[in-house]
Formats: sequence, C-alpha cells, structure tokens
Amino acid sequence: MLSLVYFLIAGYVYAQDAASLETKVLPVLRANCFACHNDKNSTSGLSLESRESLLRGGNRGPVVSTSGSNLLVDALRQTGTLKMPPGRKLPDAQIELLEQWVKAGTPMPASMLKSRRPGADHWAFQPVRRPKVPTATKNPIDAFILDRLAKVKLSLSAEAPRATLLRRVSLDLTGLPPSPKELADFLNDPRPDAYERAVDALLALPHYGERWARVWLDIARYADSDGYTIDAPRDIWHYRDWVINALNNDMPFDRFVIEQMAGDMLPNATRDQLIATGFHRNTPSNFEGGIDFEQYRVEAVADRVQTTGAAFLGLTLGCARCHDHKYDPVTQREFYQIFAFLNNVDEVDREADRRDFNKPFLPVGKPDEMKAYGAWEAQMQALEREMNAYKSSIPGTGQIGDPGVVERQRGIDAHRRRMPKITRTLIMRELPAPRQAYVHLDGDFTRRGANVEAGVPSFLPPLNKKEGRATRLDFAQWLVARNNPLTARVTVNRAWQKFFGKGLVDTENDFGTMGEKPTHPELLDYLAAEFMENGWSQKAMHKQIVMSATYRQDSRLRADAKAVDPENRLLARQTRLRLEAELVRDSALIASGLFAAKLGGPSVYPPLPAGASNVTQVKREWKTSSGPDRYRRGLYTYFQRSAPHPGLILFDAPDGTVTCTRRIRSNSPLQALTLLNDEAYFEFAQALSKRILTAKESSDEARIKEGYLLALNRPPAETEAARLRKLIAAQRDSGRDDQAIWIAVSRVLLNLDEFMTRE
Amino acid sequence: MNPETVNKAITRRHLFRDCGVGAGKVALLSMLGERAFGARHHAPKIENVIYLFMAGAPSHLELFDYKPELVKWDGKPTPESLLKGKRFAFMDSFSKETPKLLGTRRKFEQRGKSGMWISELLPHIAGVADDLTMLHSVCSENFNHGPAKLFANTGSFRPGRPAIGSWVTYGIGSESKNLPGFVVLQSGPRGPRGGAALWGSGFLPTSYQGIPFLPAGDPILDLSTPKGVTSDEQRQTLDAIGDLNRSRFSDTGDEEIATRIGQYEMAYRMQSSGPELIDISKESKETMEKYGAQPGKASYANNCLLARRLVERGVRFVQLYHADWDHHEDISKPLDAACRDIDQATAALISDLKQRGLLEKTLVVWSGEFGRTPMGEVREKGKIGRNHHIDSFSLFMAGGGLKPGISFGASDELGFSPTDEKIELHDLHATILHLLGVDHLKLTYRYQGRDFRLTDIKGKVLQKILA
Repeated sequence: MLSLVYFLIAGYVYAQDAASLETKVLPVLRANCFACHNDKNSTSGLSLESRESLLRGGNRGPVVSTSGSNLLVDALRQTGTLKMPPGRKLPDAQIELLEQWVKAGTPMPASMLKSRRPGADHWAFQPVRRPKVPTATKNPIDAFILDRLAKVKLSLSAEAPRATLLRRVSLDLTGLPPSPKELADFLNDPRPDAYERAVDALLALPHYGERWARVWLDIARYADSDGYTIDAPRDIWHYRDWVINALNNDMPFDRFVIEQMAGDMLPNATRDQLIATGFHRNTPSNFEGGIDFEQYRVEAVADRVQTTGAAFLGLTLGCARCHDHKYDPVTQREFYQIFAFLNNVDEVDREADRRDFNKPFLPVGKPDEMKAYGAWEAQMQALEREMNAYKSSIPGTGQIGDPGVVERQRGIDAHRRRMPKITRTLIMRELPAPRQAYVHLDGDFTRRGANVEAGVPSFLPPLNKKEGRATRLDFAQWLVARNNPLTARVTVNRAWQKFFGKGLVDTENDFGTMGEKPTHPELLDYLAAEFMENGWSQKAMHKQIVMSATYRQDSRLRADAKAVDPENRLLARQTRLRLEAELVRDSALIASGLFAAKLGGPSVYPPLPAGASNVTQVKREWKTSSGPDRYRRGLYTYFQRSAPHPGLILFDAPDGTVTCTRRIRSNSPLQALTLLNDEAYFEFAQALSKRILTAKESSDEARIKEGYLLALNRPPAETEAARLRKLIAAQRDSGRDDQAIWIAVSRVLLNLDEFMTRE
Repeated sequence: MNPETVNKAITRRHLFRDCGVGAGKVALLSMLGERAFGARHHAPKIENVIYLFMAGAPSHLELFDYKPELVKWDGKPTPESLLKGKRFAFMDSFSKETPKLLGTRRKFEQRGKSGMWISELLPHIAGVADDLTMLHSVCSENFNHGPAKLFANTGSFRPGRPAIGSWVTYGIGSESKNLPGFVVLQSGPRGPRGGAALWGSGFLPTSYQGIPFLPAGDPILDLSTPKGVTSDEQRQTLDAIGDLNRSRFSDTGDEEIATRIGQYEMAYRMQSSGPELIDISKESKETMEKYGAQPGKASYANNCLLARRLVERGVRFVQLYHADWDHHEDISKPLDAACRDIDQATAALISDLKQRGLLEKTLVVWSGEFGRTPMGEVREKGKIGRNHHIDSFSLFMAGGGLKPGISFGASDELGFSPTDEKIELHDLHATILHLLGVDHLKLTYRYQGRDFRLTDIKGKVLQKILA
C-alpha cells in the first residue's frame, strides 16, 4: 500500500516535470530538428516528431538512452564525428535542456506519442473486403463493369465473332491459336455452353501452363545464363518446368508463393519444393575477376527485396534502399528488415569460394546419373578432407606453394573436371546461422548502420510468427495471409492486365501512393476476395474473367465510346493486343504445322541470325538445334542475358536482369525485317505454303481460303482474296512457279498485323 | 489519314497515354523517328554523338595524365595514406604486400598550340590536340569492368537502366528515316564485357535499344531478302501486306495497324540504305588511307569511317566499342598494340569530321570505363601492369559546343585523386545531353513509381568546358 502511494506520488512529480519539459523542449526541436527529422522525410531514418519514432532511433541505431552516452546529445555537443544541427551549434543552455529531457525519458504530449507515417491510410493498404455486387448478372464481373459504364451512358459491345472469340481465348489461355479443326468443331457446336466447354478444354491443355509460366518467368527475371561480365550458362530450367507444372496442376497461388519463396524451409521439403526456390536464384551473378563477392551477393539480396515488392506487394520497395521511401510509408530500416529475411542463403560471399560460385544447387538427373554423381561427389569430399588434413599438418605460412598442397590441388582440380553430366539447378538453402543484417547507410553495404532483425513494414498487418526469429518461411506465409491487403489484389490485377491489356490499376507494379487508383475498386476487391476464398485457384480466376461478357466483347473501335473514354478504361469494348514475343513465334509454328509440342526440358537453340551472338566478352557457341527442338515454343529458347535472341528481344521480351511485370508493345521496322527475312520465318512460310498446296482443293480460291484459315483462323473476305489473287497474277506474269507463288502468299499472311495480334 | 500522319498521331498518343513521362512525352516512339516536336529544352549545340568506348580501361598515366613526380617515385612503396579505406579490384592479390608506385616509361610532350600533354603512344591524336577538350580527374563508382561499363553507359552499375543512346533517341528522336537512331559498332579481339545490357533500353520501349551493326555482310540482322526472293517480289509482297493491313485498319480502327504499315515501309527502305551505308568502296583512296580502313575488314578504322557515314546520314547516337585495354599483366607491348589500333583512325575521324563541317554539330567522346592505378601490379615475374583505378582518370571529347584545346580537372602528383574539380560520369552525361539541347533533370521516364533519369540523382553540366 505504501509503495503504491509512493508510486503515485513519483508519477505525479514526473508528470509535472514532464509537462514543463515538454513545453520548453518542443520549440527547440521544432526550430532546429524537425525540418529534416520529421515523419515524412526522416533524414537518416530518424524522425523526432513522435516519441515512438524517437525511441526507435535512426539508421545509425538508437539515439537516446536514459543512462550514459547517447547519440542525440553527443551530436548536439558535437564531440564526435556526427555534428548537429549541420553547420552550426545550439547554445549550451538548450543542449542542457535537451539532455535533461532525455534523462527524464523524453516525455512528449499525448498527441505526439504515436508515429504517423503518411500514406498508411492509402486505399491499397486497407483490408480486402468483399463488396456487394451491384446487380444480379450471370457473371458479377459484368455487373461492376456495366454499373460503371451506365454512369457515362454506355454499355458493352456485342460479343466478338465466334471465330475471333475462340482465337482470342486460345491465345490468352494457351498462347497458341486454334487449329482449323478446333475452330470448325467450335463453330459447329450448337450447344449453349459451347464456349464454356471450349474454355474448360483450353484450361486443361498443358499449353496453359506454358503460356502462363512465361508470364511468371518475366516476374522471376528468368534467364539461362549468369549475366554481367562472364555470363556463363547456368542450370535453372528445372525451375521453369516447375512453374509450368504448378500452373497446369492449378497449384493454389498461396502455395505457389510459399514454395518459391521458402520451399527449402518446409518440413521434409521435396525435390520439387527445392527446385521451386530457384525463383529468387534467378538474380544475375557476377563472377568477373577482381570483384568483391560480398558486393554482388548484396546486390542479389536487394534485387530479391525489390522483386518481392513488385511481384506480390505492388510496392516499389527498391526506393527505400538508400533512404526512406519518398512517397510510401516504407522506411529504409524496413527495407533492411525485409532484406534480413532473404539474406541468409548459403551463397558465395568471398573469393576463396569462387570455384563454388553456383552454390547452393541441387543435382538433378536420371537414377544412373545421380548414382555416378553421388560417387563423384563422395570422392571430391574425400579429396578435400585429405587436403585439409594435410594442410593442418604443415606450418600455416608454408601452405602457399607447398609442393604437397600444389599436388593435392591439382588432384582436386582434375577430379572437378571429371564431374559426370548432370544438371545442378540453383536453389535456396539457409545458412545454419543467419547473417547479421544492418542498415546500409545511403545504400552502401560498406557503411554499416544499425543492426536490424527480420520484420515486415509496420503499416501492413503484423507477421504471424511462432517463437524466436522470424524466418523466410514466416515471411512467405505472411505474403499470402488472408489479411495481407496487397498480394491478392496485385495478382488478380496482373491477370486482368493480360486479358484486357491494362490492369484495373494501371500501375501494376505500384500500388503505393504514387500509383494510379483502380478504375473499378470494387471489382478489384471482389476478384481479390473471390481469389482467396476460392482456394487461390488461378484457373478459376482466369475462367471467371474469360467467361464474362466484358471479356467476350468485340474489340473494334467504337466512336461513341471513344468520345467519352478515349483510353477504353471503362471497357465498352475489348482491345486488340499485339502478341508477345514468344507467341509471335508460336503462332507461326502452329500455322506452318512445324510446331513441336514437347513440354519442358533443357532450353533449345532455334536458328539465330548470323552475327547476333557476336556482342559479348565470352563468345558462346550457339549450336542450332535440329529435329523437333528447332520448332519448340518461344519460351524454351535459350536465353543468354548478354546476347538474347533477337527474335525475342526485338518483340519486347524482357532482358531477364530485373523483374518485369508488364510487357511494352513496341512497333518497329526491325520487327518487320525479322518476320519478312529471318531464316526461321522464311522456313515457316515455306512450310505453310506446303500445307496450302497439299490441301484437298487446288483452285487459287480454295488455297487462299486454306491459307487464311491456317494463319488467321477465318476465311478471307472477298476483297482480301482479290488482293491476294492480284499478287498471284503478278507472280505468274513474272514466271514464278507454284511453289514460289505460295511461299509469297504465305509470307504475306505471316506478316499481317492481324497475324501477330490478338483481336 | 495517310500512314505518315497517322504515325505521328499514334506515336504521340502512345507516349502521352502509356508512358506518362516528362519531356520524353513528346519524343517519338518510332525507333527511326522523324524530327521530334520541339522536344529539346534549349537550342542544341550538336546533333549527333560518336562515343568511342575503350573497353577494358586505358591507362590515363601512359596516355594523357603526365606525372613526372610519379616517375620520380617509381618503385617506392605507395604511401599508406593513399590506400587507407580504399577498395580495389583483385584486393586479395593486390593488397598482399604494399604495392609499389609505377612511373610511366613513356615519353610525354606538349602538343599543338594548346600545349596539351600527350604521350608518344598516340602521335596521330597528338596531331589534333588543338581540337580536343581533355578531362582529367574523372571518377567512376565501380571498380569491375562489367558493372563499370554499365555505369558509364546507363548511369547505374546495376543492370536494367536505359543506355545513354536510348535516352537520347527517346528524348529527341533521330534525323535518319532509314537507319536506326542508336547504332553500336565493335572491334578488337572480343566484345565488351556486359554485352547487350550496355546498349539495352532498360525500362524504355525496346525501339530505343542500340542496334549492333555488323561490319560485313548484312549490317543489320535480317536485312537481306531471303534467298530466292527477288527484290521485285519483295516489293510486291510488301504492297500486298500494306493493302491488307489497310483494309484491317479501316475495319477495326486500330491505329497500331497504321503504325505497322509505316514500319514495314521503313524496313523496306532500310534494305537499301543499310548496304549503301557499309559500302565504303566509294570513299576516296585518300580517305581510306587517312583512316587506315580497308573494305570488308572488321576493324576499328572501318568503324570510325562508318561512324562518320552514320552521322552524315542523320543517325543520332553512334557508339564504338574497342577491346581490349585491360593491361594488368603488362603495360608495355599490349598497350602499344591497343594504341596502334585506335590512334590513326580516331585522329582521322576528328579531322575528317572537321573538314566536312560536321564536327561543329557532332560530339566525339573517347573514354574507358575507368583508369588504371598509379601503383604497379605484378602478376608475372618480369612484367608489370596496372590495376583498375576509379578515383581519377582521363578522357577527351571533341566537337561542337566545347572549348577546344583545353584541359579541365587535375589529379594529384601521383595521378591518384582529383585535386581540382572531381568530375563524375554523371557530369559527362549531363553535359552530353546539354549539348544536344536536353536538360538532364527534365528528361525523365516514370517506372515503378519514380521518375528516372540518366543522371539518377546526380549530374551537373560542366559549364567550364562549354564554348
């Protein structure tokens, strides 16, 4: 009882002092410190505007302590290297006042206790709530779209012609146009649910996984080589195949994320779960001579943070690497807290491990290959053990140049060269003890700021962590927790972008305060809620979108809609979209009949224009594939970062060095040269002409029709046929034979805008 | 609307709508682009840039930055104060024992009326000394070749940013209607480290990427009509494609089709302008000798001549890479050879441009990705080379808008650090853009929520070298 009274009195006294201190201290802080150290700018990670942020400290660590030295007072007294305020010094009386205030526990008025990072109330950071669907329609998507269109007195366009529709949905779901037979079956199917049946059939095709894997591989910055200077080949195609299979099996998206982010940390991780972690091993690696390995390891980790931000959170986390984010409430310290999750992979960080530069990896091969590899590896370990034993038996300084060491090293090197053929796919593997993460002052890893522990930004829901240190696995689970407001929204928005050309949020990789607001916020939330509650099924989400009347509309321009909605953001029509790089090739493969349907496997080497690989330091041989591998889908083309295949890069395939969440669609003369003159495309035209010539009927009329059906999935209009007849006549006049004539016609078809466009 | 007008309309619309950018909004999306619509921020001093990139990093101490004091201290251990806190490439081998200073063995002389110091290794370049604007004390931010080349070309040592030539053509387009606006040529024993990333368009549309030209055969990939197809037939094929595309355009109203029609026409024009460009057989004997060029030979000399032909034809940005200048092991004979490769043709390019009145509107830049250490590096007994050095190195420019015959910036007595103005590569970028009439602060592109620029958060125009 007595102690309670004492406590109350002490508290009262404290409150008295505190109140007077507050009133004296605040003007000093306001006049001298707040200009830089406020909640908005927080220079050097420090804000003095709230007690919470003051106690948290800045990038150099805590700035106040009630006992002993503290950075704030030292900086004001200017006794050390850090001198504040910059360029001048406070009067001694004011410094003493601040010191008293620190000793008293930095009391602040109630209104200044909590930190208020601006932007925390931004729409995208609020929970996803399932909205009410405006009116009863068969597909709720249409209800939201129609509701918005009605406000500008517009409605949806009519459904696209059936042939166009099937071509569209086939290209969107599988990346391949339909065959003439598939088209005929669909056109002749009178059942009211013919379209839905077609959609279901497409979703079940293995090509669905290939098409959507490529979309994901853009985000994963997938490439088959290391990048930077040496740009050596790397084994990572097992990861590509893992993505294809996961999508074909409709792996729930939450699991899809967890396995890629932290499959290695799951209990009893399977081979596939390890392969999945190749996701964050797609970062470029620098193995140039004379580098500091730690520097490029740090680059890779920072890239993982940035990629994770863009891929799942729609946040530009990379902006917070050198300073607090200028527009979003992400602090620099929080950047390094996320960094800490991804910082503990057993990767090369020193010169001594140069030989092991691809570690960690997983050997993958057939049983006999695995056996041979296992024996080889055991022998390697034995040699290394023997070397270590020998080294410890001789005096430490004599090791370099010691004949015994040299001889043993020679033996190890020779054994290394005898490694049996196997793929060693890059994976994540956690170090037994995590690296200590710290704030990199100004983003420079050589300038150590305060140590940080793994954690998530404070304006987002907290991490549901069990005991002890939060791990990469905890982080992965947090990304796809039901209360994470971003991942589902970002994912459905990116799917929408593929089906309509633009997302509901146009800035698909920036859901922060600088990003655009959604055109249909309720639809976005509806889709996100539906996605999560439907077991994160991507196929179900894709199906719901392509079943909507909104998706099925005609894409032709409408003058009335253009007047009120010039960019077609309200979707009174579909949009014509030029096919992506790989799909231009795939469509030509299908039209020519050369298409090789094999799923997965090592990357392949279709013809490369002469001289295209002549641009890098280390010239790598391009062994043009023969047989079916010459005719594989574009996504299997070997991707060398320093010399990507021009057929891909000229059609806007990303360069595979940083994450890419949207493809630009450029329109250039070099694309025209490729389709007109490239060896591969000429071969496609020749093959298409043969198909045309071997069709049942041999009249020009019938052949033109056949060509149109094969290349464009529709019969020609009379004017179009007439134009081709004119070409044929001119060719005959100049004495060309049938073979040459129909190659010319085929070249025309494969170069039409319509051929490379999803209408 | 004819395709030409449609083209303009669509490219403008495209940029306004899709890119949401600053000055670049008014640039052309088309790679070949016509003259941009007043995209410049001020009157330009130059129209074209020829950037001679010396891949591997030439030694400023053997070529341009004369350091008699370093010669005096040759063989002495490097003062520790210089090395403290510094990071170097090959740290493990380089720092095992204190490296020794290495004075140059080359003779330097003051050249021209300006009295610029240039070494005996570059007699031809010494002959145009009065046309050069020499910069000393230039620094870089990364001491490894690949990343440093990225930095010199894109303003960031991390991959993923657009190259300077991409920024320029994005900002102000190109005069040439028949050739790409940003062309890359290369010579030497190997390609530059980093490859395509050095001239990639990063987050800008890929139509702005640098297009590597091949020195023989087809200068541009897929430029030749396929075997067995006559040029008449190619024309007929193109006409049919154009007509059918036009009919699709009237059906759908999609202006992208109109753009494509225009691009196919440009492609056709390139099929004749490309071969015409690389056919140097009509150049006079005198010119060929001046450069040391030989028809059909892949060489730096031929590339210099091609560079002149490219700017003559209105190509905005030409970049030459010549490897290899990475003289760790031996700074004697291998350096002689590299200098012989480039000396005559570089000087010929400058004087030829001048003679033709093109130097006034062209900027020639000669630079590596960094310089080389004042300390010697011994990798092999009996030989001595120099390691990578980023604190201070030299480069030169020549051309319109600059004060000729001056040296700007200075390094200390050992050629280690700047004493005078520290010049960053961002400053070089800002200055190149300035000469082209572009404000480096205003040429931006929004990507991932941020307005990016070539000079990142830095860069200042080097006012003191401007005429």
